[in-house]
Amino acid sequence: MADFLQLLVAGLATGAIYALAAIGFTLLWQTSQTINFAQGEFVMLPAFLALIAMNLGAPFPLAALIAILGAMVILGLTFKLAIVDPLIKSGPLPLVISTIGVGLLLKDGVKEFYSAEAQPFPKVFPETPFSLGGANFTYAQIAVLGVALAVIMALNWFLAGTRTGRQMQASAQNPTVARILGINVNRMIFYTFLINAILAAVASLLIAPSQFAKFSQGEQLGLAAFVAAIVGGFNQVRGAIVGGLVVGVADNFAPTLLSAAGLSSAYRQALPLFLLVLIILFRPQGLVGRKEERAI
Amino acid sequence: MADDFILTLQDVVGGYGRMTILNGTTARIRRAAITTVIGPNGAGKSTMFKAIFGLLPVRSGRMTLEGRDTTNFTPRQMLDAGVSFVPQGRNIFAELTVRHNMELGGVALADQSGLPRRIDAMMQRFPILAEKAGAQAGTLSGGQQKLLEVARGLLLEPKLMLIDEPSIGLSPLMVQEVFGILKALRDSGVTILLIEQNAKQALQLSDYGLVLEQGQTRIEDKASTILADPRIAQLFLGGGLAPAAQ
Ligand SMILES: Nc1ncnc2c1ncn2[C@@H]1O[C@H](COP(=O)(O)OP(=O)(O)OP(=O)(O)O)[C@@H](O)[C@H]1O
Ligand SMILES: [Mg+2]
Repeated sequence: MADFLQLLVAGLATGAIYALAAIGFTLLWQTSQTINFAQGEFVMLPAFLALIAMNLGAPFPLAALIAILGAMVILGLTFKLAIVDPLIKSGPLPLVISTIGVGLLLKDGVKEFYSAEAQPFPKVFPETPFSLGGANFTYAQIAVLGVALAVIMALNWFLAGTRTGRQMQASAQNPTVARILGINVNRMIFYTFLINAILAAVASLLIAPSQFAKFSQGEQLGLAAFVAAIVGGFNQVRGAIVGGLVVGVADNFAPTLLSAAGLSSAYRQALPLFLLVLIILFRPQGLVGRKEERAI
Repeated sequence: MADDFILTLQDVVGGYGRMTILNGTTARIRRAAITTVIGPNGAGKSTMFKAIFGLLPVRSGRMTLEGRDTTNFTPRQMLDAGVSFVPQGRNIFAELTVRHNMELGGVALADQSGLPRRIDAMMQRFPILAEKAGAQAGTLSGGQQKLLEVARGLLLEPKLMLIDEPSIGLSPLMVQEVFGILKALRDSGVTILLIEQNAKQALQLSDYGLVLEQGQTRIEDKASTILADPRIAQLFLGGGLAPAAQ
């Protein structure tokens, strides 16, 4: 039982980070039909922006802020203007291929201009363990979970509780009707890209202390976010949250389950894909998904 | 007198991609009256509304609103000029509340501080919407959803309202209610341009009628005259009118 709790909390902490990336992924899809195959690299990059700022002498809080703002400029504004806007008219395929290219560019850019080695990242939250009911947790795990959930709640509040947020929802649900009401749909899409960049930056800063920052990290992160989005139904923010948590928890339970089944722990890498296949076979609309509907 | 016409279309040509749907459409819509556009399926009625409202590029021809050239205005510009559009089908945001749906009708309002007051006034005008203000719009009946769309379209207090087949899928009682609202609007000075499948019923309610076929205006006249025209029955039985009919 104690082991179970331990794995569960560790899984939720990782899962909450995946959820951030998956929410961003879902938002881009909802508002602009952009399937961002560079999402993993979007989560990889901001930690390096923070490292660069710290190398230049910035204290961590400032470096984190620079990472978030840098992400908004590079992964939000530039990505939207330079890649998505010119290509979106040509249908989804050219855009998908371009996002794969963007992912490669970011990955090899970091490798070439920063380092190919995994970079230690400051431990923002203390890794000191504490035990509760026989299970061991770290303060860092709890803090990561707390920060990720707080960001998710803030986003939900923004989308549901502000007029701009509701205009974004309207633009995603039915862009034609949104335009008919005078909503500046393109601006709402732009906000989505900014939000995605912020989510990616937060995820990056949360995951870097425990996994280090590495140029190739995006492969695993991107796959996790993609699978989380699919598991959740692909077209809903709350689906992405559930999906992220499911993938994170499954990932943490995998070694125990695999060894119990007498299988090599190497299969752990394949777990997201396994989940993906299960979902596509048995529940293609996702765990909390619904069928797409669109008027006009 | 040209001033009687709030909206004019002169030889408007437009369509989807390379396909031409509006093939020189011409219309003169009278102020503070209900004009119903009728015509067979696929005649281009909805397309005409989309072109008027700036949702479809116009390849040639000209449109004016109160004498001002509005050809290829954006929807936002049309709203600012005093036109609103309730399209065909289901156009509410199902997951937002009734009140929040209504609020989105006020996005184009220049003075946003006046929005809550306008929403409250609209709620008073449609008590059923006030009753359901906090409910998800998707939980409303089809007729209530249409009322919500109409109310949302009225929030900017438009001079001209384009309404595409509001009665489709509604119960006869609800149709009467919607038509009643349109008449009241007309009596308060709003111009209504309506598309209706049920031509007879709609023309009985209207002041003027416009018959569109293959993207061209065949008849533009008083509703009562069109109702009495034997060719109309023929048209709706699929016979078609000769272009020289006018
Ligand atoms: N988005 C679109 N893309 C391509 N073609 C379209 C589109 N919308 C309509 N059309 C075509 O344009 C033609 C006119 O359509 P439109 O919707 O204007 O007809 P309508 O007179 O409103 O008919 P209905 O009574 O069925 O509503 C039809 O042949 C239709 O198939
Ligand atoms: Mg139509």
